[in-house]
Amino acid sequence: MNTKRLTLFILLALGVIFLSACSGQPLANNWPGLATDTEHAYLAAGNFVYAVDVNSGKEVWRYPPEADNKLLFYANPVLTADGQLLIGSTGTEHPFISLDPATGKENWAENFTKSKGGWVASPLVLNEKIYAPNADGFLYIIDLNGKEAAAPIQLGGALWSAPSTDGTLLYVTSLDHHLHVIDSSGNELNEPVDLGGAAPSTATIGSDGVYVGSFASTVEFIKSNGSHEAIATTENWIWGSPLLDGETLYYADLDGKVFSLDLATGRQNWDAVQPDGPIVASLLAVGDQIYVATEDGTLLALDRDGEIVWEKTVGGKIYTTPVISGELILVAPYQAEFVLAAYDAAGKQSWTFAPEK
Amino acid sequence: MSLLWQNIIISPMTNLLLWIYDLLGHGPHMFGLAIILFTVLIKLITWPLNASQVKGAQAMQELQNDKEWQDIQKKYAKDREKIAQEQMRIYKERGINPFASCLPTLVQFPIIIGLYQSITHALSVTPFDMLKLARTIYPFQNAQEIIPLNSTFLWMDLGRPEAIQILGFGLPTLALIVALTTYVQSKLTMPTSTNPNDQTAQMTKMMSIYMPLMLGWFALNFASGIAIYFITSNLLGIAQYAATGRANWRNLLPGGDKTTKQPQPISKKK
Repeated sequence: MNTKRLTLFILLALGVIFLSACSGQPLANNWPGLATDTEHAYLAAGNFVYAVDVNSGKEVWRYPPEADNKLLFYANPVLTADGQLLIGSTGTEHPFISLDPATGKENWAENFTKSKGGWVASPLVLNEKIYAPNADGFLYIIDLNGKEAAAPIQLGGALWSAPSTDGTLLYVTSLDHHLHVIDSSGNELNEPVDLGGAAPSTATIGSDGVYVGSFASTVEFIKSNGSHEAIATTENWIWGSPLLDGETLYYADLDGKVFSLDLATGRQNWDAVQPDGPIVASLLAVGDQIYVATEDGTLLALDRDGEIVWEKTVGGKIYTTPVISGELILVAPYQAEFVLAAYDAAGKQSWTFAPEK
Repeated sequence: MSLLWQNIIISPMTNLLLWIYDLLGHGPHMFGLAIILFTVLIKLITWPLNASQVKGAQAMQELQNDKEWQDIQKKYAKDREKIAQEQMRIYKERGINPFASCLPTLVQFPIIIGLYQSITHALSVTPFDMLKLARTIYPFQNAQEIIPLNSTFLWMDLGRPEAIQILGFGLPTLALIVALTTYVQSKLTMPTSTNPNDQTAQMTKMMSIYMPLMLGWFALNFASGIAIYFITSNLLGIAQYAATGRANWRNLLPGGDKTTKQPQPISKKK
């Protein structure tokens, strides 16, 4: 190969690299997923799932032990009653995996070759069956040993949120603007409910129906028979799940406003509280406080009257819903110096966790 | 990605793509159709640039076949400085702009990259991508209706690399079509040359081999929406070149690119 030919080849190769680098891979990264029990926090962040000791903030284990670029994790891991930790990959390979939460050892990993998409959504375990929504629009039904328990159900649209259940029925939101109501045998009841916009978060179970926020900037209340009504509207999209606490429904939108709706009267309890940035994460209620995490990286505690009790700058951007472990509030910021932080109820930071390379 | 690049290139292109998609009814297969129409629109906008590129390349090629120029090359074979001076004189006399063939390509390069990024941007595959997309959409768009995009087109998911399963083997149909159409386009636009020292012709010949491989590899590994763009763009490029009457169809045949023309002087600028 002469010099000119080699030069041309190198230039073209650089062109390919340039295009690849500046344009991003088709399977990009995302904010982390988070779950906890009384001992560990489980964080799905990029190529690894980490178990972190909630008392010390130290890493207990990571899965897989060595990074595998074909695997990406960012769904919220799910703990089962029989002691499994479930997580699916959204990488170029998308196995659905069961881990031992104590050790991080793999119990089983199924590739579910029929699934074409990744596992953005967390699964739901009900009556010893795992209901796992996939980005390919199918709801997969798996037994606790990782074997297919029933034929997958095609719901349509990408499924990005965990199903919710009232113990009998499953409610599955979809990006195709619909809520699907399914019985435990996998039969879809009624026609899917048109929400008017994509629904990226889990439906919130109420006493006689479910509440769903969507990109239509509404909160819909849907009964199991499929009848529904918009009970609240906002000026921007609602990304996180509404939070039901007694007779009050809390929700937030991408304008960064937090609302409190009295379900008995249909009236707002306060003028919308607007912290410092858009709100993607769902809200969390603990004791007398409502915790709010914003895209600008702030964690706030509100009282039931909408007054700010305290606010802390965590850093990075927060999209992941905070979780409670014992006395601690755990927050998983994205694009920050650390991937996990713990705060007590007074807003004092207990520890941060940044994984070693 | 800088904010400037995002605001000047990505956002307008993404919104135009989404607007076409919405206009088509934002149903199944419509995003593929939107990419095709979008490519046609971009080709129409850059038509004068492409025409200028074709014209510039033709003028340069004619110069390579010009007897006077070949004589100068022989006469001053050992004096590169003199050749450069003579070359500039001929360019000036005949009104040839040596950058006319490559400048349009440079201008189009950001458009091509921007288009690629717009397609991947619109086909958000993660929640974070979708959040970014939400911020890109202009207020006049019917965002809540059109999001998420339906990425189905024919048998493909436009957000993923394409392959048709045949007997357990994934045949990358689109990647093959991309490589084929790129090869045909480069062969058709490859001019004949009688000059054995014609470096431009040699480079063009090499490009006609490497470009199909490069774009084919790209189509093989990236979202199939990009392959749709490449194929549409190649077919339009072939059509545009054929419309000028300069398409060298003989080049498609084996041995068809062998030079047969005799050197001829080209006319001076009046």
